[in-house]
Amino acid sequence: MGGGPAHEVEIVSMLDGGIAVRIDGEEISATMETLADGSAMLAIGDRRHRISGTKRGNSILVAAGAMSAEYQIVEARGSSRQVGLTAPTVDAPMPGAVLKILVEEGARVATNDPLIVLEAMKTETTLSAESPAVIKRVCVEVGQRVDHGATLIELGPVPEK
Amino acid sequence: MKRPLKKLLIANRGEIALRVIRSARLLGLKTVAVFSEADRASAHVAEADHARFIGPASPAESYLNIDAVMRAAIDSGADAIHPGYGFLSERPAFARAVEDAGLIFVGPSSAAMGAVGDKVAARRLAMGAGVPVVPGIETADAASVRTFAKKVGYPILVKASAGGGGRGMRVGEEASTLEAALESAAREAEAAFGDGRIFVEKYLGKPRHIEVQILGDSHGKIVALGERECSIQRRHQKLIEESPSVAVDEKLRAQICDAAIRLASAVGYQSAGTVEFLLQDGEFYLLEVNARLQVEHPVTEIRFGCDLVAEQLRIAAGEHVSDLGAPRGATIECRITAEDAEHGFRPAVGHLSYLHLPNAPGVRVDTFLTEGVEIGAYYDSLLAKVIAYGASREEARRRMLMALDDIAIVGINHSTAFLREVIASEHFARGELSTHFVDDHFTGWRPDAAIEKAALIAAALVAARALGNRESGSSNANGKIERRDQSPWSTLGGFQLWERR
Repeated sequence: MGGGPAHEVEIVSMLDGGIAVRIDGEEISATMETLADGSAMLAIGDRRHRISGTKRGNSILVAAGAMSAEYQIVEARGSSRQVGLTAPTVDAPMPGAVLKILVEEGARVATNDPLIVLEAMKTETTLSAESPAVIKRVCVEVGQRVDHGATLIELGPVPEK
Repeated sequence: MKRPLKKLLIANRGEIALRVIRSARLLGLKTVAVFSEADRASAHVAEADHARFIGPASPAESYLNIDAVMRAAIDSGADAIHPGYGFLSERPAFARAVEDAGLIFVGPSSAAMGAVGDKVAARRLAMGAGVPVVPGIETADAASVRTFAKKVGYPILVKASAGGGGRGMRVGEEASTLEAALESAAREAEAAFGDGRIFVEKYLGKPRHIEVQILGDSHGKIVALGERECSIQRRHQKLIEESPSVAVDEKLRAQICDAAIRLASAVGYQSAGTVEFLLQDGEFYLLEVNARLQVEHPVTEIRFGCDLVAEQLRIAAGEHVSDLGAPRGATIECRITAEDAEHGFRPAVGHLSYLHLPNAPGVRVDTFLTEGVEIGAYYDSLLAKVIAYGASREEARRRMLMALDDIAIVGINHSTAFLREVIASEHFARGELSTHFVDDHFTGWRPDAAIEKAALIAAALVAARALGNRESGSSNANGKIERRDQSPWSTLGGFQLWERR
């Protein structure tokens, strides 16, 4: 929802037809040929990937072969000490209507606990906790229509004993 | 009786509207598209000879609005209507409205559709025609269902009478969750079909989904065009279809095709239709009849070298069903959907900014996608169908792998990486399929590390303004001026990327 795993990516060098990067400390070299449509063919080992992407607002949207992904820049040229954070909010992954709210404010939830059920395109989608958390605030009501990205629930960290 | 068609209205959108327009054009028909507010700039509108606006984006007010569609047909002077799949395609009331207006419905008669479209009615019909059905009970009463479940054993399967595509379907695992399953199925059925009636069947263990394509003409002839296997599903919705099925030999094929023809004959079925079966331990049972063209019809078209939409149009014009000869080779289809396979296939939306589709011998792609297209949440999540042909199943499978590797879509999350891994898997290669395949082998699926690294490299290159930056505005935003003959890489550094979920 808010954030997935963070990665540190550094482009170490670019030569004609080749690229060296460091991803989370691992050095990777690949061949890369750019194409006229703004994409490039990237070959890592014996796998070839057509890559392309665009920046929209704070998001970077990319395709790598069959995969599409969305990233956010957390920090440019930052230190490698960034640690994983808990997603602070549960956001609507698509427009729809709130069908059920399964938690109350103040409740403590565990990883994978169902939190809220949305209905979109006539299909019910249950959003679950991605890590242990406390429900700080429920921002929507049953029956309410929500847009893509709308904050449904605010989460807080589980207090330490 | 021949009644030549001149102008065809297509009461649908997306890839199937385009697909139907092309066959209509082949036969020399003029075409009329209909579109909602959300589809003003859609490909099917541009492709048709004429287009009519039928209402707001919400399907209930446009593509499901019989009055609006009929008005468009009459105003545009269409003499026939093709419903595509989904939307109004299986509503007998729509077929009847078309018939009553004196137009030709490209599909079965409203009576035949009504007789097979309701799952409970189809079960009864099958029993009368000697076609095997799964043991079941036609009630939503919790107490009766509990008694039935005790007799046949848990789990049981709750289905919508008016259902299709897995909507309104729930598994009742045990007595304690049975009532919740009944309620939830009825609610979803009501929302999806405007009909909350449900029934209950014994739940088969791990069956295969095998279906038979049929074509019937107005002269009483019904032919079966072999089987398709559609066992790779999630939440009862098909992801991958193929023909022939590795689980069907000549003898079984003859039996299952014969059963499909018997059932279709019982209602005097005309046009294209599909009789779906579940196959387990060599026994097959009727699942349902789809009284329309199906999403996966190209799988059959390629093996038979035919055009099923053109066949439908010829049949609607009173012609005889063509002699389609014997099928060849093997075909596999993958449905590319706007869904996040990593997170329970939840629907994805977005603006498509880059698109690359495969183009190779033995590969067909049916799609409405273009760069710039906006994928919203109003309609079905199907983006494209990739169909690969081979002399053998293995050749088709290898072609499919290459084709899926050659797809790149920026801006909308989609299921291709997942489908690729299914096609690449040992179990799929060996043909070890069941409707539980995805749950059994792909629960908790994540993209493999290699492709994820490529995605991270792509993201870093975008962050560095070195890849696909046609949309990202000026690359001089920070006052850096890049000379064309100067490598931009000298300014690169490290980026920390945070994956959005």
